[in-house]
Amino acid sequence: MKLLGSAMVVAAGTGLGFSLAQRYSERPRQLGQLIGCLTALGSYVNYAALPLAEALARAAGGLDSPVGDFLRRTAGNLADRGWLSPREALEEAMDANGRTLAWERPERETLLLLGANLGATGREEQQKYLALVLEELRRIEREALMLRDQNVKLYRYLGVCGGLAAAILLV
Amino acid sequence: MSYGDVLVKTLYPLLAPPLAAALRAAPAALLAQAGEIRIRTGQPLLVVAGDGDVFLDAAGRPSDQAKAYVASGEDVAKTLQIVSRNSLYACEEELRQGFLTVAGGHRIGIAGQAVTVGGALKTLKNVSALNIRLAREIPGAADTVMPYAVAGPRGVLSSLVISPPRCGKTTVLRDMARQLSGGIARLGFTGVQVGIVDERSELAACRDGVPTADLGPRADVLDGCPKAVGMLMLIRSMAPQVIITDELGREADAAAVREARHAGVAVVASAHGRDVADIAARPFIGALITDRIFERYIILGDKPAVGTVREIAAAGGEIVYRRPGGIKACG
Repeated sequence: MKLLGSAMVVAAGTGLGFSLAQRYSERPRQLGQLIGCLTALGSYVNYAALPLAEALARAAGGLDSPVGDFLRRTAGNLADRGWLSPREALEEAMDANGRTLAWERPERETLLLLGANLGATGREEQQKYLALVLEELRRIEREALMLRDQNVKLYRYLGVCGGLAAAILLV
Repeated sequence: MSYGDVLVKTLYPLLAPPLAAALRAAPAALLAQAGEIRIRTGQPLLVVAGDGDVFLDAAGRPSDQAKAYVASGEDVAKTLQIVSRNSLYACEEELRQGFLTVAGGHRIGIAGQAVTVGGALKTLKNVSALNIRLAREIPGAADTVMPYAVAGPRGVLSSLVISPPRCGKTTVLRDMARQLSGGIARLGFTGVQVGIVDERSELAACRDGVPTADLGPRADVLDGCPKAVGMLMLIRSMAPQVIITDELGREADAAAVREARHAGVAVVASAHGRDVADIAARPFIGALITDRIFERYIILGDKPAVGTVREIAAAGGEIVYRRPGGIKACG
């Protein structure tokens, strides 16, 4: 009985550690995908001059991930309710898909800032602005990668060890 | 479907909510006559109808100026945002020209602050006024004209539609396109391949390249394409029997019309002017008249209604049709 209880405590600790570590490794992955999609968005805006909703939907392509879902939802918001501004459409999509997105405050703020300027200027300015946003997102991605390297192992070990420690104390 | 219903489908979804609400509630009789809707920052909402201007209050009731709904800067900005589908970058050319065409063919003129680079207009910013020119698809608008514009089952006579602004040139031209493409049973005309160069997206009212106006089964549309380039492209690529285009004016337009006629393609076009003599005095397209490039001149007026055919003349100037009851001038 004690053995079973201890095993469960260790398993719980390990699970907790792994889920925290997962969040650290998921964030740079999603940031990378976002950077890829926004680069594509730049092409659809600059060369094909597609309307924003369609450009966003195409930029998300067939990406089967929370980032793809988020961009498609933003595109859907814009297409279905034309009176929404891009920022409002992004905000709504972020609220609705928030639980699946592993983003932190800096990238959320950068995205909302992008939303405030998206579609509101000519092609050249859009391209310049997107380049600026992409640069910022790459910087955030680099930081996220560093955090991942530091923290993933840490949280995994911490989870296992914490679980073991708790089990020992309880026994 | 009443014209009000047409506007509910095509125009109101594009307006800022307070403007849409007022217009939705406006009297149907007013909208049936409306030619323009004017929205200016800090000024009352105005419908230009038939004989006069009508101010609307927030509930859509015709009212005097003091009680009318005053459009805010937010109303204008929001409308422009919706009309451009949040994509001003996709409308750069239209902004430079000063208007956008939306589904249904309505043309939204824009005035604001010009941004110039090296003396050339780059774009407009701080847009403060919108003029929505309402398009009307009137099947049958060209019924009077068609007997004089076709010859035999497949013959089309090159025609120039002449009228001052707001007398229904585009409406008549659009209906001519529909009838030429679809055929006219009462005249034994079977229909021909029609090529349309729609530089200002008014004739065919294309949305994403697909016409939203009824142009019959044999019409190809080059949307947003400069007339001169487009006419030559169509001749090469789509082998039309007639080319239809709006508002000739430039030297290149006149050269392209000649080119098309030499290639054996009929041309149906329009030009701003009061009558044939007025057009003949104009540079470039005047020479098309003296050289008898067109076989028919169709002069329009707006009395008793917009799109009324005042007279039709042959190449030599002889009148082949004149509206009974005398000629009335457009205003």
